[in-house]
Amino acid sequence: MREAGFTTFLVDDDPGVLRSITRLLNAAGYKTQSFSSPREFLSSHDPTVPGCAIIDLVMSEFDGLHLQQALIDSGSERPIIFLTGNGDISTSVTAMKAGAVDFLTKPVKREALFSAVVRAANVDAASRKKRKESKSIGDRLATLTHREREVLEFVIAGRLNKQIAASLGTVEKTVKVHRGRMMAKLGVRSVADLVRLADKAGIAPAHVLSE
Amino acid sequence: MDVLVPEVAIQERQKGMPHEDRGKTFRNGLIVAIAYYVGAEIAFLVGTLSDKIFAPFWPPNIVLFCALLLSFPRQWWIYILAAFPAHVAAELQVGMPIMQLLVAFATNCSVAVINAFLLQQLQFEQPWFGSIRKATTYVFIAAFVSPALCAFGGAFVQILGGGSLENYGLYWARWYASNALGSLALAPIVLICLEKLTWFSLTPALRGLEAMLIAAVLAITCIVAFKEGDTIASGYVPALLYLPLPIIVWAAVRFGATGASGVIMVISLVLIWRTLNGQNLFDVGDPEANVFAMQLFLIGLSSPILLLGAAIEETRHAETVTREREERMSVAAASSSVALWQYELATDTFWATDYCRTLFGLPSGVPSDLDRLLNRIHPNDFQTAQAAFKSAIARAVPFETEFRVQGHDEGYRWISVRAQPVIGNDGSPTAITGAFADSTSRKMAEAESDMQRQEIAHLMRVSMLGELSGGLAHELTQPLTAILSNAQAGKILLAGGKKNLAEIGNIFDDIITEDGRAGEVIHRLRGLLKKGEIKYEAVDMNELIASTLRLLHSELIDRRISINDEKNIDLPPAHGDPIQLQQVLLNLFMNAMDAMDGVPPAQRAISINTAATNEGGIEVRISDCGTGLPPAQEQSVFKPFFTTKKRGLGLGLAICASIMKLHGGSLSLQNNVSKGAMAIFRLPPPGP
Repeated sequence: MREAGFTTFLVDDDPGVLRSITRLLNAAGYKTQSFSSPREFLSSHDPTVPGCAIIDLVMSEFDGLHLQQALIDSGSERPIIFLTGNGDISTSVTAMKAGAVDFLTKPVKREALFSAVVRAANVDAASRKKRKESKSIGDRLATLTHREREVLEFVIAGRLNKQIAASLGTVEKTVKVHRGRMMAKLGVRSVADLVRLADKAGIAPAHVLSE
Repeated sequence: MDVLVPEVAIQERQKGMPHEDRGKTFRNGLIVAIAYYVGAEIAFLVGTLSDKIFAPFWPPNIVLFCALLLSFPRQWWIYILAAFPAHVAAELQVGMPIMQLLVAFATNCSVAVINAFLLQQLQFEQPWFGSIRKATTYVFIAAFVSPALCAFGGAFVQILGGGSLENYGLYWARWYASNALGSLALAPIVLICLEKLTWFSLTPALRGLEAMLIAAVLAITCIVAFKEGDTIASGYVPALLYLPLPIIVWAAVRFGATGASGVIMVISLVLIWRTLNGQNLFDVGDPEANVFAMQLFLIGLSSPILLLGAAIEETRHAETVTREREERMSVAAASSSVALWQYELATDTFWATDYCRTLFGLPSGVPSDLDRLLNRIHPNDFQTAQAAFKSAIARAVPFETEFRVQGHDEGYRWISVRAQPVIGNDGSPTAITGAFADSTSRKMAEAESDMQRQEIAHLMRVSMLGELSGGLAHELTQPLTAILSNAQAGKILLAGGKKNLAEIGNIFDDIITEDGRAGEVIHRLRGLLKKGEIKYEAVDMNELIASTLRLLHSELIDRRISINDEKNIDLPPAHGDPIQLQQVLLNLFMNAMDAMDGVPPAQRAISINTAATNEGGIEVRISDCGTGLPPAQEQSVFKPFFTTKKRGLGLGLAICASIMKLHGGSLSLQNNVSKGAMAIFRLPPPGP
């Protein structure tokens, strides 16, 4: 399952290796972008393009781990596959902890490479979907009025309209109207959907004193 | 024994005179006394007519003179004292008055003392009459100066005996002639006989026969030449006087001073006998005048004969010395495994000592001429050796070379030759002289140590490559990765059909390129790993540095070390073994890398600088910014087993230094002014 426009970004300062891996991925139908310098890659990096990075661990400018850190620092969640000539355990642990998808030893077999790329594509797709979702929820939440937001927090706390009205110092009928509008704005039909959305958006239920 | 001046002590030892104790001195005194007396008696027996005329010669004077000459001046009084009673006894026997007797003794002593004193002063030493100088000195002093001086006193003896003062000049002349003749005719043979006491026993039979033959011929000659009855007045042919001359020359030539003095004595005795007892050959009137004429004849004859004998002795001695020296040199040369040789340019002749044959494995009967020797040379060395000889002969310059020759057995032996021209009087070379020496054992020792050195160098290379294994593996992994990926891509593209053919072609090109790259890495590694003989060739140092850096590429990246390369693009080629030189570079780079372990990565850098030297060689500087050398240990680093590393053997730089030395170059290390250390190595220009 591959998103449209999925690109593999290759970073290796060895031109021969760079060219051959690019060629392999192209042959397998992947769209590729090659960089012989990590700096060049960083400066032209567009995180919105779906895809994964395949990075050589040992490079003369700075090594793959530095590049990974630089991507994380820039807020990118680009999945990374490392290639290395002689990977030692401590380096691979560091890389994997920082979120690398895989750590492949050169010379790399195509099955291993392709499966790693597929996994990376899945990771990328998932993270993109999640991001997209949370972005749309955020957008919808932003349209709520202050009162509607208050009502939302009471509803996901399991309060009845009457109880909410009492808490807000208004009448039950008004609360009903706010609640209806809020549900419509967020595009949810049931309280269950509302609770799941609020959970995704990280909205905490209202703190209610027991009566 | 008294303290002696060293020179005198040496003299004493040479003469072998028994002066060691009083007993011997006493014995010698007694011998002198007896000889003195016997000498006088002989003179009377021959008939000196001493009551009327002077003795033609006076043996007692010769006895005293010889005794004094052979002893130290401080002992002379003993001999003079010993001679006195003998003198008195002898002279009283013939009725000489006391006064005359005393004066005679005084003058006799004075001539002996003056003779001995002057001759000792002028270093007239054994071997007597061994050289012209000595013989001349002797004749001048003993036959002229000293008797002439003493004759002034001696002439009075006659006057005391009743002679007229008017005849003083005559007496002087006679006294002189008597003592001069004694010095010439008797003293030399006595001295020589005393010196060569064992001479006769050592003489080979043939020489003894020859001596006897000379004596016999001389006797016959004397009988013919000085025949009784013949006088010049009675028609004697004066030319017959010269008849003994060939015999004299024969004796002098064959037996040197001994022969000459012996012959002189015989002729003198014969003539004196004849003059005193028969009709006088030199019949000029009164007997005294006759004797005087005979004396002058003998003095005139014997002086040159003595000199001739001495000259021949000297020549013969010089020849012996030269021959002995040559023999000694030859023996010494052979015993130190050296053969001497000489090549005469003018005559194109080659001479060599016997040992030459042994060295070149020639049978002992075969003459060792130059062509034969050259033919024994190993075919591989023949050209070089022949060229060296030819150019040395043509240009007359000293030369040294080494070559192998076929030995007696299977193997070859190494011969080193060293030669120089002999310059003649006109400044041009006349010959080439030289020495062959067996250098096999040295060569073998050299080969042995060479092998050990190579072994160690090889081990160090292997151990360095072991340290670099990670980086080196990466150098191989890269092309292998590229090859695998390309091949896999090709396989996929192949399934896609003909439209991909162009890309598949590119893939093959890349695979070939990458394979070449992997092959290069392996080639470089194999060069460093293999144990080979040293092969000298022209080396592009810049290229060698680049190749070494390629080997280190991954390691440098891994250690975050940057390289500042300042190569001189017009660098002349160096002459050396590329593998050994690369080992030096590798070692220096690794030292630089290790030195920067504690330096922040951003500052780690190695600078490389190549330059041509003024002499036409090259210089390479490798500088790091690490910890630098330990203070005051810039020389210690070259000592074996010196190391500053935790896991170092301490052999790297020692081997690098020995490699540079082998190449005729140098290696030095120094701390940089700012930071780190710099290694500088120089290689000389390629030799002729």
